[in-house]
Amino acid sequence: MDILRKLAGKRRGVDDLIFDTINVIFMILLVVVMLYPMLNTFAISLNAATDTVRGGIHLLPREFTLYNYEHVFNNAQIIQAGFISVMRTVIGTGLGVLASAMVAYTISRPHFILRKFVTLAFVLTMYMNAGLIPTYLLHRELGLIGTFWIYIFPTLIGVFNVIVIRSFIEGLPETLFESARMDGAGEFVQFFKIALPLALPVIATVSLFVAVAQWNQWFDVFIYNSSFPELSTLQYELMKVLSNSNAAFDSGSAQDAFADAIGGQQDTVTPQSIRAAMTVVVSVPIICVYPFLQKYFVKGLTIGGVKG
Amino acid sequence: MVKKKSFLLFMLVGFMLLFVACGNDDDAAATDDDESTDEETSEEVSDEPVTYHFFNATSGQDLHTNETELGALFEEQTGVNFQVEHLVGDLNERIGVMVASGEYPDTIAPQAGLDMLLDAGAFIPLNDLLEEHGPNILEMYDDYIDRFTLPDGNIYYIPFGANVNEYQPIPNTDQGAFWMQRGILKEAGFPEVNTLDEYFDLITDYADENPEIDGMNTVPFTGLTYDTSFFVFSNVPMHLAGYPNDGGVIVDMDTHEANVYGDSEYAEDYLRKLNELNAEGYIDQEMFVMNYDDYLAKLSSGRVLGFFDYGWNFAQARIAIEDMGDPDKEYIALPITFDESIEDQYMDPPAFTQNRGVGITVDAENPERIIQFWDNLIKEENQRKVMWGYEGEHYEVDEDGRYYRTDEQIELTSDQDWREDFGMTTFEWDWPRINGSFSDGNAVEPRRQPEVALAEYDEDDMEYLEAYDIDTFSELFAAPQDRPWFPAWSANVEQGSDPQIFEERSDEVLKRHYPRIVLAEPEDFDDEWNEFVEAYRSLDVEAYEEYFTRVVQERLDGNWQFAD
Amino acid sequence: MGQPVNPLGVTKELKGKRPKKGAKHFFKKAREQKELMWMSIPFLLWLFIFKYLPLGGWVMSFQDFRPARGFLESEWVGFDHFRFLFTDDRFLEVMRNTLAMSIINLVLGFVTAITLAVLLNELRSVTFKRVVQTISYMPHFLSWVVVAGLVSSALAMEDGIVNIVLLNLGIIDEPVMWLGVGQFFWGVIGAADVWKMVGWNSIIYLAAITMIDQEQYEAAEIDGASRLQRILFITLPGIRTVVVILMIMNIGYILESGFEAQYLLMNPMNMDYAENLDIFVLRYGISMANFSLATAAGMFKTVVSFIFLFGANKVAEKLGEARLF
Repeated sequence: MDILRKLAGKRRGVDDLIFDTINVIFMILLVVVMLYPMLNTFAISLNAATDTVRGGIHLLPREFTLYNYEHVFNNAQIIQAGFISVMRTVIGTGLGVLASAMVAYTISRPHFILRKFVTLAFVLTMYMNAGLIPTYLLHRELGLIGTFWIYIFPTLIGVFNVIVIRSFIEGLPETLFESARMDGAGEFVQFFKIALPLALPVIATVSLFVAVAQWNQWFDVFIYNSSFPELSTLQYELMKVLSNSNAAFDSGSAQDAFADAIGGQQDTVTPQSIRAAMTVVVSVPIICVYPFLQKYFVKGLTIGGVKG
Repeated sequence: MVKKKSFLLFMLVGFMLLFVACGNDDDAAATDDDESTDEETSEEVSDEPVTYHFFNATSGQDLHTNETELGALFEEQTGVNFQVEHLVGDLNERIGVMVASGEYPDTIAPQAGLDMLLDAGAFIPLNDLLEEHGPNILEMYDDYIDRFTLPDGNIYYIPFGANVNEYQPIPNTDQGAFWMQRGILKEAGFPEVNTLDEYFDLITDYADENPEIDGMNTVPFTGLTYDTSFFVFSNVPMHLAGYPNDGGVIVDMDTHEANVYGDSEYAEDYLRKLNELNAEGYIDQEMFVMNYDDYLAKLSSGRVLGFFDYGWNFAQARIAIEDMGDPDKEYIALPITFDESIEDQYMDPPAFTQNRGVGITVDAENPERIIQFWDNLIKEENQRKVMWGYEGEHYEVDEDGRYYRTDEQIELTSDQDWREDFGMTTFEWDWPRINGSFSDGNAVEPRRQPEVALAEYDEDDMEYLEAYDIDTFSELFAAPQDRPWFPAWSANVEQGSDPQIFEERSDEVLKRHYPRIVLAEPEDFDDEWNEFVEAYRSLDVEAYEEYFTRVVQERLDGNWQFAD
Repeated sequence: MGQPVNPLGVTKELKGKRPKKGAKHFFKKAREQKELMWMSIPFLLWLFIFKYLPLGGWVMSFQDFRPARGFLESEWVGFDHFRFLFTDDRFLEVMRNTLAMSIINLVLGFVTAITLAVLLNELRSVTFKRVVQTISYMPHFLSWVVVAGLVSSALAMEDGIVNIVLLNLGIIDEPVMWLGVGQFFWGVIGAADVWKMVGWNSIIYLAAITMIDQEQYEAAEIDGASRLQRILFITLPGIRTVVVILMIMNIGYILESGFEAQYLLMNPMNMDYAENLDIFVLRYGISMANFSLATAAGMFKTVVSFIFLFGANKVAEKLGEARLF
């Protein structure tokens, strides 16, 4: 009980005690259920591939090996690809969030005459998909193929994010903007000085969404830039390793190697073990970003103070 | 608002015009290229170093060919290097945007996307180029040229694996078979097992005596039915009836008619057998639920007594079991048919897949350089390097001129990383290449050379081989009969055509009904079966059979490429 | 802080004014709002170029589109692709599965994510809160292939954790083949979806909670409100706007019931309950290079989306809730 008390912090009545206890127990169960897949994936990534095939790996590897990671990193391109991944995440998030926030600000202004038109124009695109080929042809005409900017411009503004930011800005007390206007502040000043800082929790949230989406994206590399190795990303390189490990077992061309491999007991990789190592390599960096953003929305902000 | 809408409309119209414009551009560019090709062929071929972009629409290692030992050698010989790019995502999407934009890599091995590229006129005709720069290619592919010459008289792509000299059967089958844990045979005194009843009798007897293996429940019989692997289950009746894998149809040896067998007597008999076994508790309850990983895990656990699969499909489990170190738990392939009167045909007849290949696109400059590279690659001496390596390093030759490998050489050449660095992985497929045997009688592929297979057998393997008085495990199987149309499934079924839609729909019907039939109470078997037949026959079966009968007929007439 | 400014009233006011004054008034206003114009028009331009222009490609749904022939030379086939889609024997079942899984995921997704966010907010230790939250959203980073593999082994007959727990608790007498019974499939998908997404989805509500004025809680405490009362009367109303807005947006995605999870967990035994619209389109569209069928299906989805989107927005308006537009 002491631990529970500590975890739940100081408390008041009996009701509170019951509530906090149940809540903490629930959270601990939740942690167990949520942590398991990650730990399991980690264990598989450290287990010999031929042994993993047998199944039954849970929290600890049975036959420890680093070969899966060796195989994943055995790629001359991986450093360059990692660099591109970081660049697209940083630039994509920075520009994307700024643009989304700006659009969100304009459609949060009650007096803006294009408010409804802009909102609707953006919202409708969420439910319309032009299809791969028309989109590809457009990007080709715009000269984006074979450039870094194909990662940035087509996905610059996420409508979902715009709407989310908008509803936060709408929640801010209008009096703040009014008094700023009285002081002669224009829309840009109101946006940068009031809306952005006060909507920081949602900006942090949306930044996380955009960053994760940018970091995980590989389809655009595949469709637009797969012939440009210098623009490859970490995710795409890892997808290559994965599909290559599939090939080792699937395609007729590898049968030769295979018949032989059965004789000599070489290190092998299987899609399952590669996938596990890949998941760890890709998710660890982005999971590390999270705690830095977390402080903006786990701790409550007091905006009441700004109000007056 | 109205104004905005018309503005939008205007932009859409503008965009349509854009399509018109670039569509025309592409056409113009294509014709230009064609003309220039013709002019350039008459010039002397240079050996200036040049790098071509080769897109291979299958998965693999992306590299420059000259980064491999063999690739460097070939570059030295021809001055040509390839930047090889493999497919990572969906084939149709990648080829689709490529065709829509009209911009192509220099050479493409499009795999299943071949039709789309041919349709787009992406490949240049190779006839004259081959005539002038490809004498070795023409020689090696001599028997097959007609099979990949399209109805317009042109060759647009070169398939892989032309059989030359003697066809070499494979010592260890990687084809379909009923597999059995071989310890069962040993315990039963190495009986001949040829019929379905014999096979299941052995398994059920053994399961009765051994309800547990290594503390786990024994799984008498299971199978793979997950996702696209369902054919592993639905193909079985064809094999039991004594036919090789022709796909969705059985081709009659006399009338050459193609008939579906999904609702045939063969299928009914096999399912009835499984239904009976299921009622007695011998069928794995998870047979129709497991995914691929679950299936491999089950096989690798050593508690599965029997299953049907294609050898190449469960290699991971085979490695895992060998790793485990109990030789009696390893699986042996058995030539099971319905009864003794049926000769098994599990081994594939010599086949030539004419609807896959590699072509040169309209965007390639100096295509003769590529032809020259291919032509050099397919020379016997270079094919020997790709398949076997260097004599004295990667293989030895005995006094009879036969190739073999020492234990160290087997070890070295089976290392995946080494194979990649040397260039075997790169060049062994998806380039013009040969099959069969070299002019000195040795097998082109080491795995088909009996000397190599024999060297890999250990004492435990020998025990089984001797008990059945055979030299290699494949000798249990009958030799393939002559089927000049084989394999029927390599027909150019047009994307989205009726036969293809039938395949998709029948796959769905089989998936829905077969498990129900197997798992039904025996007294409900007939009802379930009839319900299935009704659903199956409501599909356009006739059109499908008609199409494949035509394919077989045309092929028998030597006509492998025909226009509908 | 008080109630958020009600956007509803303002919009109504605008609506009432604009038609009367006409174009002249509009341009005058537009000049006044020069800065807002500068802030939105570049992005509007972006929107039209990247999102609306390529919609011209929708014409392919009325064609037998071949990439090789382009939009001009492909054969026109009228409504053939729509006919193929709507008259297929499986269409009704496919739609049933799509809607069922979509609704289950929608409801479960909202309820669990909001609950988690609220409960996390009630934790008193900030460190503990942060740790739980970080861990709860980790499954989001696993691909569906990995999650489906874990789900399938958790539900296995012999050594699956779910059967073991339920057997020990005496809830079931013999192991259940969870993935072998079609009727369980929707539940399995819903549970898997919650497992993977709940932590991630709760982030946005946590952010919303931080925007609630802390003074309200302090005041409530002084008034002697219980924890439950504070949740019901401060926290939930405080995130109401965000919930409603997200709800409306997600109702628009009514036909997006997910794809990978269903595809990976589908097997011959449960396929009658697993096949949804996206899987159908994959089988007869993309994998047959039939881009036209895929586009036709996309257009169908858009139409349904719009109906639900505008419907939901209308209902929200009638109920006096926040509106999306």
